[in-house]
Amino acid sequence: MHLRRPFRLLRPSLAAALLAATALAARAAEKLSLFAWSEYVPARVIEGFTRETGIQVDYETYASGEEMLSKLLTGGAAYDLVQPPDYIAEAMIRNKLLRPLDAGRLTRLDQIAPEVRALPHDPGMKYTVPYMTGTVGIVVNTAKVKEPVRGYRDLFQEKYRNRIVVVNDNREIVSWALVTLGLDQNAITPANLARARPLVAEWIKLVKVFDSDSPKTPLLNGDVDLGVVWSGEAARLIQENPKFTYVLPVEGYHPFVDVLAIPTTARNVAAAHRFLDYLLRPEVAKLVSDEFPYTNPNLGARRLLTPAQRANPASYPPMTAWNTFRDIGRAAADIDRMMTDLKNRP
Amino acid sequence: MRSGAATPTRASGSRTGWLLLPLAGWLVAFVLAPALILLVISFATRDDLGRVVFAFSLENYGRVFDPVYLGIFARSVGYAALTTVLCIALAYPVAWHIARLGAPWRQRLLLLVMIPFWTSFLIRTYAWITILKQEGLLNGVLRHAGLIAAPLEFLYTPGAVVLGLVYAYLPFMILPLYASAEKVEPSLIEAAHDLGCGPWRTFATIVLPLTRPGLAAGVMMVFVPAIGMFAISDLMGGARVPMLGNVIQDQFVGQARDKPFGAALGVVFLLLFLVSYALLRRRAEVRLG
Amino acid sequence: MRWLSSPRCFRFATGSWTALVLAFLHLPIVVLVAYSFNTSRLNVRWEGFTLRWYAEIWSSPVLLRAAVNSLVVAVLTAVISVVLGTLGAWLLHRHRFRGRRWLEALVGLPIAMPEIILGVSLLLLFSTLAVPLGHGTVVVAHVTFCFPFVLLTVRARLQGLDPALEEAALDLGATPLRAFWLVIAPALRPAITAGALLAFTLSLDEVIVTYFTASPGAATLPLRIFGLARVGLNPMLNALSTLFVGAAVLAVLLARDQRRTSSGPAGV
Repeated sequence: MHLRRPFRLLRPSLAAALLAATALAARAAEKLSLFAWSEYVPARVIEGFTRETGIQVDYETYASGEEMLSKLLTGGAAYDLVQPPDYIAEAMIRNKLLRPLDAGRLTRLDQIAPEVRALPHDPGMKYTVPYMTGTVGIVVNTAKVKEPVRGYRDLFQEKYRNRIVVVNDNREIVSWALVTLGLDQNAITPANLARARPLVAEWIKLVKVFDSDSPKTPLLNGDVDLGVVWSGEAARLIQENPKFTYVLPVEGYHPFVDVLAIPTTARNVAAAHRFLDYLLRPEVAKLVSDEFPYTNPNLGARRLLTPAQRANPASYPPMTAWNTFRDIGRAAADIDRMMTDLKNRP
Repeated sequence: MRSGAATPTRASGSRTGWLLLPLAGWLVAFVLAPALILLVISFATRDDLGRVVFAFSLENYGRVFDPVYLGIFARSVGYAALTTVLCIALAYPVAWHIARLGAPWRQRLLLLVMIPFWTSFLIRTYAWITILKQEGLLNGVLRHAGLIAAPLEFLYTPGAVVLGLVYAYLPFMILPLYASAEKVEPSLIEAAHDLGCGPWRTFATIVLPLTRPGLAAGVMMVFVPAIGMFAISDLMGGARVPMLGNVIQDQFVGQARDKPFGAALGVVFLLLFLVSYALLRRRAEVRLG
Repeated sequence: MRWLSSPRCFRFATGSWTALVLAFLHLPIVVLVAYSFNTSRLNVRWEGFTLRWYAEIWSSPVLLRAAVNSLVVAVLTAVISVVLGTLGAWLLHRHRFRGRRWLEALVGLPIAMPEIILGVSLLLLFSTLAVPLGHGTVVVAHVTFCFPFVLLTVRARLQGLDPALEEAALDLGATPLRAFWLVIAPALRPAITAGALLAFTLSLDEVIVTYFTASPGAATLPLRIFGLARVGLNPMLNALSTLFVGAAVLAVLLARDQRRTSSGPAGV
């Protein structure tokens, strides 16, 4: 009698849920399973692709390249397309986790900017197609900070203590110290780490917020006035309010490239190629720029952007160097260890 | 008052013993088996890509007892303990009050306790950020009231982390406390009152002993998970100090790509939990006779 | 503190305290709901009223599908957790056997396990056994960390239950299962309600374990929300959360109505 009451609350929702479940099961179509950065592929792109080809896209997201790698390596689900950053793509190619692309099925590879085609993670785009590129640079709220900030030395000063946000990415932070000391950002040796250590220790004491997901939030909220953030985040800040400026640090910077690639375990290789080819169309690639103001490697798409989009200093900074991150294998754990140690000291 | 713990009837018990099989099966398949996998990995090593290589090594356990990680562990336990104490203080009167209400109101209030948590964690946390930020609602209200001249720093402080933790775990203290407070007979309280007991004495001599099982369940549901929590310290604390959860997360899905070390951290943490749990239960059973 | 001695004052004090705590719990929800009507996309300050974000939800099949997935998973998880947890608590309570304490410790293990560890090790288990990921694996994973909450809550309640109740039923010739159904379960109702609410809520908002045990088609709403929020918080997410809270309130009202109609002359 009274017994059934606890389930009362659940009953209406149960009925609704079961109904919905049967509705879902009824559909069956050709499928492409896409494993990409969180919502990095705009819904309009996916919907357009499905409308044109009839192929349904199952889009699963992850928060970092390492997270993707972890799930892919453990097994379980099979994915037709994945979206690693450059240095993880390099490691995946070396470990034979990616399938060579069939260039014959990609009709618009010539749209990709020449400087992005021959990067060391995959020279000649044999396994990967660049999706978006970007940089990590310095954002300043010029309403609050009057002195010019040109590089890491200008930024990490005692007077800016507790007014700085940086991406919560240990390898990034260490690389800033390395280039400031004139060292190779990819040479993660014990000796180099020991040299970078005091500088990093000094810097992170000044930081108020570490945030990789949305470093623009504390800047927008006025909780901090300076930051070292992803260029796409900076571009959004500038769109929102021109008081924000973006510069590439004078000590050195590095670009990153997010690519799309087909894992060796893919089931629907043909659909994966069709999706890649679809994305190479300038008018489609442009949609990505509309949502994510990073640097679009697709030259045709760049021509379709508005003048304001093209003029955004964070989206299209004056870039000369193309020294991307390389895979550093086990040395990544040494960085992690050093940073954990440093952050743990009061 | 003899808390009726136990006196299960052994004779009739055998007839329902088989019913334990689904529970035991589930625990073995989905709790014990993963835990054993974890144990195996914790003794392994890894390759450059982060794949587990099954070569026996004790190195991971050597690292766990590095002072750096012990310090992180101590901090995580500290935050969890403070959270638990605050949750108990906030939850007891609420659980007690709800338990004394009539049936319809009881259900309504229980749902009111839970409904905020049917939104998304991230959206709730961002709402807190909207409230606590420098140009946020709280500073605005305080300034309008003339209580402060310049905005105070609430967000990205240890205080904000504790607030976030208490907020996230409070229902997990209220609900079990309610479930065991509900069975305390009002007549007992009245009797205590008639005998001249003040509210505090009544609480200490009647309510607390009778609700102790609920309190124990609540502590288990708040204290233990709060040790491994890190999303709140990242979002509301600015990720300035690492927590146990951060370190483990980094090994499995972060840049460190060191699953065996993450597994070793997990194994040590779970062993500590199991031992303290078994000891506490033994003490409880001894006390109850 | 003298005034507290009067039962009425005491009741007033706990009542006010309860109101304050509820206000604390709902404060961010009020902010969240208010900002779901904000025209500003970045949601930093209040700019104007709009219903646009609600309209956007309906044009996002991905979100709707994720919402349905979440509800299906949460409801199934709550139901299975209640059955497993309640029966488990009762059996662990009435049976004394060797290794019982270990079984109980095992129950606590999923509560103690950091989510990432449970998620990764379950994925390892599923892939070793070649179980394809999907709704099923998500539900199994969710039940695994949810049912201990039900079990602990129910067990706490059982510890104060008068054993005479069950004995009386048994003396009257009821089988143990019947005695459980007729006598024990009704007495456990508050704990079962509390446990079901905990399980449902935990499942509805879980991210990490879900990430590792879901296939692309079975992604739940929190997974999507984490993704969306990462690329800039979007008032659409506030709108979605508002809809969930609204639906919850509506469900409460429906549940109440049902009871009113069913507790008519015939009783329940």
